[in-house]
Amino acid sequence: MTITDVVKILDGKLIAGDATSPRVVGAVVANDLMSDVLLSDYDDILLLTSLASDQAIRTAHIVGAMGVVIHNAKPLSETMIKVADDLAIPLVSSPLSKYDACVRLHDAFLAEERA
Amino acid sequence: MAEYSPVILKGQQTSDDEILAKTPLDEKALGGDSSVIIMELLQRFKVRDVMKRQIICVPRKATLREAQHILKENRISGLPVSENDRLYGIISVNDIINGLDGGWMDEPCEAHMSKNLVVLEAGMPLSFALRYFNNYTYGRFPVLDANRKLVGIISQRDVMRALLYELSVEIRKLERKTRPEAEGGGASETKKNFFRKEWAVVHNDLSRAGHAANSIKSLLRERKIDRSLIRRVAVAAYELEINICIHSHGGVLVLLIDDDAIRITAKDRGPGIADIEWACRDGTSTANDWIRSMGFGAGMGLSNSKRVADTFNIASEVGKYTIVECIFDIPKAAEPPQG
Repeated sequence: MTITDVVKILDGKLIAGDATSPRVVGAVVANDLMSDVLLSDYDDILLLTSLASDQAIRTAHIVGAMGVVIHNAKPLSETMIKVADDLAIPLVSSPLSKYDACVRLHDAFLAEERA
Repeated sequence: MAEYSPVILKGQQTSDDEILAKTPLDEKALGGDSSVIIMELLQRFKVRDVMKRQIICVPRKATLREAQHILKENRISGLPVSENDRLYGIISVNDIINGLDGGWMDEPCEAHMSKNLVVLEAGMPLSFALRYFNNYTYGRFPVLDANRKLVGIISQRDVMRALLYELSVEIRKLERKTRPEAEGGGASETKKNFFRKEWAVVHNDLSRAGHAANSIKSLLRERKIDRSLIRRVAVAAYELEINICIHSHGGVLVLLIDDDAIRITAKDRGPGIADIEWACRDGTSTANDWIRSMGFGAGMGLSNSKRVADTFNIASEVGKYTIVECIFDIPKAAEPPQG
């Protein structure tokens, strides 16, 4: 599942970063507390968060995340988009709630496994 | 279904406006990347350390023509009008031009001097002087003491000269510290690889917090260090940087790499930690709601840094400083067979 797939699954829009990035989701971390995210041990994280700030992007860069999804259609600041572009972190905005986004991603993973 | 269109907020995040309002202008003018040394100099130095004490003045009854001669002879562009250390006004080159133009060069200075004066106090930090030079168009400010007596005059040139001199002293000290072999000492202990870089972290500037940690991660990547090690170092750097930003009066994050280890040191200028054991425990925090709204303040900063580091040291003195050091051992690559 690449970032383009994530955009499709979550009815989202890619706001920053490279749509053609070949990186695939290794694990989904849905969390608004950045210290928790820093503690996670997975590689190629897709970070789902309602924290629409630069810090979400900076945290994603630290843990080597493959992308960040801001759910609930939270407004994004221009500075956040710039940080995402500078650090080359794909940033997706989705109108779904965190719960719905998780359910859809889960279903998509199951479908991927069955295929 | 209508196509989803995300909302993008123009300009800075709202919380940044508050931060900018609180950030001293010298920090803004010099940018977040400014050396801590410069910021410290601006706070440590007072206006009285930099101002000129020999002040050339004219009395109120002196004519504009007399003032013009004094300006010309001394090659200055402003002249305080003062008697018995009391400041009444300032005659500038502009007032002289107006006098020549209007034909009142033989009238007394007190009739044409600028009376709405902006003054500095001798005890103010130098950062105030810089702020004044930024906010007003004047080239110089009279300096008064606590009793409102005229004690000096300060121009941009005085500030530049003092800063350049002090910077050269500080840089010499730094050079000695980072290149001990150049001084002829410790040659036997010289390591092959040595890299040091430091970043200033400004109090409450959450829009830039994390910038140093992101740079550290990029730097380590360039050095082809093991990925999991980079992640551990970056996590500690990030947590410590956020800590300086939200809990301290400001400080510095230092990266030091040698053959054996990567060291991240976070030094701040207070307020210090009264109970270090409590502060290092998971879930204990003195953070406020604003910090929590930015995704931090859950009391995991120090414990997270401790968790990822091979060696964790912390020292603090209430009202003075906190220093946290995280050391990460670099695993030795398998030695190639000799011979």
